[in-house]
Amino acid sequence: MSEFKIGWNAKMDMLKFKNLGEEREKIIAEGSSKDLETIYKSNTLANLLHPKGIKVKVSKIVKETDNTKSFYLEPMSLNAMPPFMAGEYITVLVKIDNRIYKRPYSISSSPDNLSYYRITIKQEGVVSTYMLKEIAEGDILNILGPFGHFTYSKIRDQKDVLLIAGGSGITPFMSYLQSSYFLKNINSVTLLYGAKNEFELIFKKEIDAIASQNPKVKVAYILSEEKRSDYEYGFIDEEKLRRIGLENKSIFLSGPVPMYFYISETLKKLDIPNKYIRHEIFTETPENLENKQFTLTVKMLDKTITIPCQENETLITSMEKARAKTLVHCTVGICGFCRSKLLSGEVKTDNSHIRMADKEENYIHPCVTYPLSDVVIEVPIK
Amino acid sequence: MHREFDAIVIGAGNGGLVAALTLQKQGKKVLLLEKGRVPGGFATSFIRGRFEFEASLHELCEYGTAENKGEVYELFENLGIAQKIHAKVVPETFAVYALKTNEFYEMPMGEEAFIAKMEEYVPGSKESMQTFFSLCREVKEALKYLNETKGHPETEVLMSKYPRFMVVAPYSLLTVLKKIGMPKKAIQILSTYWTYLGSPASKLSFCHYASMIYSYITKGPVTLENRSHEVSLTLSEEFASLGGVVKYLTGVKEILVENGEVTGVITQDNQKFLTKHIIANISPNEVYGKMIEKENVPVKAKKLVSQRTLGAQGVCVYLGLNKTKEQLGLSKYAYFVYETLDSDVEFKRMHSLYNGNLAATITDNGEDSSILCLTSLLFGNAFSREVTKENYFAIKEQLAEDLITSFEKATHVSLRDAIEEIEIATPVTFARYGGHPEGTIYGYLASGSDNLLPRVMNEEKEVYIKGLRFCGGFSSRLLGYSSTYINGRDEAMKTIGDMKNE
Ligand SMILES: Cc1cc2nc3c(=O)[nH]c(=O)nc-3n(C[C@H](O)[C@H](O)[C@H](O)COP(=O)(O)OP(=O)(O)OC[C@H]3O[C@@H](n4cnc5c(N)ncnc54)[C@H](O)[C@@H]3O)c2cc1C
Ligand code: FES
Repeated sequence: MSEFKIGWNAKMDMLKFKNLGEEREKIIAEGSSKDLETIYKSNTLANLLHPKGIKVKVSKIVKETDNTKSFYLEPMSLNAMPPFMAGEYITVLVKIDNRIYKRPYSISSSPDNLSYYRITIKQEGVVSTYMLKEIAEGDILNILGPFGHFTYSKIRDQKDVLLIAGGSGITPFMSYLQSSYFLKNINSVTLLYGAKNEFELIFKKEIDAIASQNPKVKVAYILSEEKRSDYEYGFIDEEKLRRIGLENKSIFLSGPVPMYFYISETLKKLDIPNKYIRHEIFTETPENLENKQFTLTVKMLDKTITIPCQENETLITSMEKARAKTLVHCTVGICGFCRSKLLSGEVKTDNSHIRMADKEENYIHPCVTYPLSDVVIEVPIK
Repeated sequence: MHREFDAIVIGAGNGGLVAALTLQKQGKKVLLLEKGRVPGGFATSFIRGRFEFEASLHELCEYGTAENKGEVYELFENLGIAQKIHAKVVPETFAVYALKTNEFYEMPMGEEAFIAKMEEYVPGSKESMQTFFSLCREVKEALKYLNETKGHPETEVLMSKYPRFMVVAPYSLLTVLKKIGMPKKAIQILSTYWTYLGSPASKLSFCHYASMIYSYITKGPVTLENRSHEVSLTLSEEFASLGGVVKYLTGVKEILVENGEVTGVITQDNQKFLTKHIIANISPNEVYGKMIEKENVPVKAKKLVSQRTLGAQGVCVYLGLNKTKEQLGLSKYAYFVYETLDSDVEFKRMHSLYNGNLAATITDNGEDSSILCLTSLLFGNAFSREVTKENYFAIKEQLAEDLITSFEKATHVSLRDAIEEIEIATPVTFARYGGHPEGTIYGYLASGSDNLLPRVMNEEKEVYIKGLRFCGGFSSRLLGYSSTYINGRDEAMKTIGDMKNE
């Protein structure tokens, strides 16, 4: 039988094997003793695109309608705002009465201009009211982001696009309509924009100007509480959708929750596959919850707090009220940033965006969780 | 007062999690510090619409089944988590396409079937394939012995029990396969998995590849039904339930060293923890380059890092499709697409963007949809060289276009009309979540003296700072799920040994 060998002979091979370590040491000895490189381009870029937080100055405030204002946010801690895709949002931190609130707002400015982000806020709850009433030009805010997936993809989406907006839901679409990426990659876009009356149509002038300059862009306004000859009247319904034509279009929905449900139902009836329908994130408040009081215990990294909570408020709301720290980005159960472990208690929650393995171990998103008893959760808050 | 621990593990990736749990199970007081929000590092998952995407795992090696247990299965049993893991064996090995030469091969599971199929594709390959498998067995046994003897084998034992192991051990995959007379085509087909280890046949150690592919072919790779996050979560929950302390969102900024020994760590939020034993689940580049005060970094450590090449960068396209595998006409789990089957030619091509080479896996998602993941590697920092803040989104999308087109071209299956969700991960994404230099996903390139055996043989010599060990993809066992899990345990046991020697 001939000898099994790879090189000259088996002995030499074995010697070579024994010397592997020495060989390695020799090579290391030839290395450089200079201080090591510590800057890596991809890591630097990751930090630029996803900064831990951005300090911004409110450089300009524009009143858009009676109850809506736009805020122009210029970077203070960075040279320029991070690049984003039209449709993304930021989370704004607002301190009211020593409580920190975090709220998501879509960016309504062009992704092509990073000297500022614009957000547009309609008066609704505590934070939006505060923003409209108290925030002035020159004020400084902290924001997180940009985040989100309500973006156009030329790989996934159709070349003909239908944007359906209701009320302040127009904000992400304002960014779409000023995005050179979006406008370059589509053949046509139709914006269906519904509001109560003409005065509530935010950005009408801007939108009309874009449409008049770009033949790809078409706009139809629909007023639900004002009958006029120069506007469509009513709600965005099956008949109007049929008239516009849905064949081979990607449909993006952004607006109040009832509008979303209504239109989703209609699209289902019209046999439009899921693939063609995308919607801005939102959450539905469960019905039939009472204001029963319970206690919420939050085990944080280094301390535990016990605070009141109530059945018809999310755990995050209770934590905000109690001036506790929170980990929140989207506030609607999608982003996973608030992921917490439910250690005990009964809750009503939305687990559509909880990982399979996390469900088995009782993880929840407290931003969409309502207590049905005393509750204990664990979350890595400092 | 600063809190003191028997050991601190930095990073809750596969290696870190197993290391922490192993130490905890030995009754040590352990602190696990993780900069992210969830355990697992790359071993995680994320949700888009109705799809939960596996972030990184294609196939888990060395697992097997309850009847035919692999080393990782046994490890999980010993850690007390095996019963919680939902693993599923992949019924075949791989299907591979070469676009330029218009070739297609699909290989079955099981040694005999594999050899027979190869003989069908490459007549005359049978004998060399049999030699290959018998070498695999010997290599596996020998590696096990090496591990048991902690890199200090007895030459006599090696000589008498694993003589051929010592002969092949210093050589590359290509050299050995050529020498045993394997026809070129068979070598190419057999090397298909080279991208799983991120190094071409002429550089990659024969032993390393042999032990991986042997496990795939004889035990079958497995996938995890609840994603790799299930393992990561189970490991971390078990660790915590035994009294281990895990702190998420707590990155380590500094490792404290005095007189050549570790004394503790400082976190990014300036907490100080004391210990004499650290297991770092992160790269030596980071540790020696950024985390230790300059005058305390041994010259040898700098030399070592300077001589190593960062491994592959990765691009991943995650697709949620609104058709099932059957509706699409894709019957296999794993597909490889290359321009040619020559791994060295391809390795060169993969030093530039848009090379079209990919590894794909597809699984059904419920009754009416499926998840397809396309992964491609880039070498020589190809991504970082080209990318800027301005062109980032465009490059990202173009990379995805390129991979989708390549997959469609190979399989003649049209994906475009079925894409319901798409997510694209680039080295920037991996840098953001993993934190490794240049978003590398594969540790250091396995090549020459930085292959498995020289790494293992010199490991103890490379403990340049007393009490500081490395686990995970950048350490001695190299990348991959099975390697990093097993290595996590081994480093923990070595640390226990260090403690005993005090
Ligand atoms: C896309 C892709 C596909 C892959 N496919 C496969 C496959 O099919 N089969 C296979 O076997 N392998 C595969 N791999 C490889 C495998 O995922 C990795 O080798 C393995 O997960 C690495 O584990 P690790 O122990 O090195 O930890 P890592 O996952 O690298 O985790 C390191 C951890 O350390 C944390 N960290 C970093 N810096 C700090 C700090 N300063 N302080 C505290 N914490 C810190 C990070 O947040 C992270 O959690 C794939 C990898 C990728 C990315
Ligand atoms: S904040 Fe996004 S899920 Fe709760």
